[in-house]
Amino acid sequence: MTVYEETVGVEDIIVYKDVHKWFGNFHVLRGITTTIKRGEVVVVFGPSGSGKSTFIRTINRLEEHQRGDITVDGIAMTNDTRNIDTIRRDVGMVFQSFNLFPHLNVMSNITLAPTKVRKIPAKQAEMLAMELLERVGIPEQADKFPAELSGGQQQRVAIARALAMQPKIMLFDEPTSALDPEMIKEVLDVMHELASSGMTMIVITHEMGFAREVADRMMMFDEGIIVEDGPPAQIFDAPQEERTKLFLSQIL
Amino acid sequence: MSTDSRIITASVLPPPRSVTGIGGWIRVNLVNTWFNIGLTTVFGFILVVALWYGLKWVFFDADWRVIGTLGGRIIIGQYNVEAACPGRDCFWRPQAGLLLVMVLLGMAWSVSGGGLTKRIAVLFAGALVACAFLPYGLDKMGLDVRLLFAANVPALALGWAIARHTRLGTVSWIAVLAFCTFILILVLLRGIPGVPYLKPVSVLYWGGLMLNLLLAVVGIGLSLPIGITLALGRSSRLKVVNLLCVTFIETFRGVPLITLLFMSQVLVPLAFPENFPQNSLVRAAIIITLFSSAYMAENIRGGLQSLHPGQGEAARALGLPVWQTTLFISLPQAIRNVIPAIVGQFISLFKDTSLVYIIGMLDVVEMSRAFIQGNPEYLASAKEVFVFLAAVFWVFTFTMSHVSRRVEQHLGVGKR
Repeated sequence: MTVYEETVGVEDIIVYKDVHKWFGNFHVLRGITTTIKRGEVVVVFGPSGSGKSTFIRTINRLEEHQRGDITVDGIAMTNDTRNIDTIRRDVGMVFQSFNLFPHLNVMSNITLAPTKVRKIPAKQAEMLAMELLERVGIPEQADKFPAELSGGQQQRVAIARALAMQPKIMLFDEPTSALDPEMIKEVLDVMHELASSGMTMIVITHEMGFAREVADRMMMFDEGIIVEDGPPAQIFDAPQEERTKLFLSQIL
Repeated sequence: MSTDSRIITASVLPPPRSVTGIGGWIRVNLVNTWFNIGLTTVFGFILVVALWYGLKWVFFDADWRVIGTLGGRIIIGQYNVEAACPGRDCFWRPQAGLLLVMVLLGMAWSVSGGGLTKRIAVLFAGALVACAFLPYGLDKMGLDVRLLFAANVPALALGWAIARHTRLGTVSWIAVLAFCTFILILVLLRGIPGVPYLKPVSVLYWGGLMLNLLLAVVGIGLSLPIGITLALGRSSRLKVVNLLCVTFIETFRGVPLITLLFMSQVLVPLAFPENFPQNSLVRAAIIITLFSSAYMAENIRGGLQSLHPGQGEAARALGLPVWQTTLFISLPQAIRNVIPAIVGQFISLFKDTSLVYIIGMLDVVEMSRAFIQGNPEYLASAKEVFVFLAAVFWVFTFTMSHVSRRVEQHLGVGKR
């Protein structure tokens, strides 16, 4: 195995060292080594089955990696459940299919985790939730149930729910792919605002306009490795790898 | 008709006359094709004949006096016979228990703010008060019995007032009080040795509808939590827990309830010393509860499997530990999805309580059957008795399914 000698700086919030993952015999992640800095906005893209989704799901242990080291905000990702719990509290996640809790109204969806996990008093949690709903632009929907909202509104509630835990990192797993075209913009606008507030974000998306405008870095995934990693200017205007060129030519 | 609709937009028209109103409904649903005209005629004829003869029997031919002769035995069985209660002055104890239930119902009415709870409370209290005015001589139905029946309305009002004007008017307090009331009723019925007016009454004499309801309440109250535990155990990754739960569920589901009851009667006493206190009521309650729990566990497991895996992922991503995910996310959704199956199991349990006749207990059905067999002059009235019993069971089960439908509506099942 390779020995890594670099010291981890405080500005490095996520550090991956030769991370591997298998689903049965299928080698999904084939040695991911990368470092993400505090406040960076990283857009991850690539063909389906390339391991990009598995990659961001290993950051909060929705998927377990089987080889290599992951460090999130200075905490080593081990089998120690206390470490996993701490990391999950600090990492928010937004899913393609929203995954709001259908039996709870919008307010309870947002306040559940802060009151149960962070033990914030209910009143305070509700005030925070209202602030967040205003930030994502739907304070008037607080008493509705998820099924009564449009897809775009549901995804904005999901973002507010993740933000309510006051995370240091936000993960977005194709947040706009399940949305009708006219609702994509309202979600991207919220994400844009979040990025400019200095949040560390890792976003899987094929919204290349958003990527060019907001991303600090872009990572092209293919066959379980990071094929190319660089600023949007490089990826769009001077891609170094044939596979990046080919993939971009197919989706743009 | 208003004529302000503009030409440029598609105008909104009312549906054609032929599909609206009663006439339209009949045209569309009953007589729209020759086949349906045939079906409508045949079933209409059957319906008219059935109603004609059915109602004629109920109102003119049937001799309902047998129900009056059965009287209190329908409700409390042999609880107040001389052998069970020397002096025959124990009738007030079940009635006092009923009053306590009415107080709780009054509290529930107040907390729910009317609606279905109110209608159920008023209906049951009304039926009980009507019993106070049955046209029998005082020798057959004493003033004290009548007064206790009539007291159900004040009891309802008392409960309503308690919930309205004290701190006890919350759902959690009512749940706690309901549990305490149930224990209190059991003590009241069983009696305490040495206390005047509370002479012990052996459970062998408990019977009638009271027995069915006691068994049903225990079964319903315990089989849901036990079923949830078994379902979670069966979904557990721990092999031992999983195996234990599967074994329990498959054993109790694989054997008929009658066989289980019979085995409890014959086999359980063999496992205990000869003079160990045996209680057929407790045995029956345990068997019915465990039998129902096994079915309940599978209903709940079905509900758990219907959940989208994204729900658990979202909860984990928020940092909720496993037990909180189960308690706040999985179980509420799972139970909500299988309310019809759960209530079906409750109804089936309530009806199955009449099977305790197999271990010699006189539930309301067996009580009536034994009465007819013991008094051959009433053999001709067996029809009336069993039609009446069917109606009694139907009232309770219909109430259950009506409440469950209302709960489903309240939770928005199928909509969100």
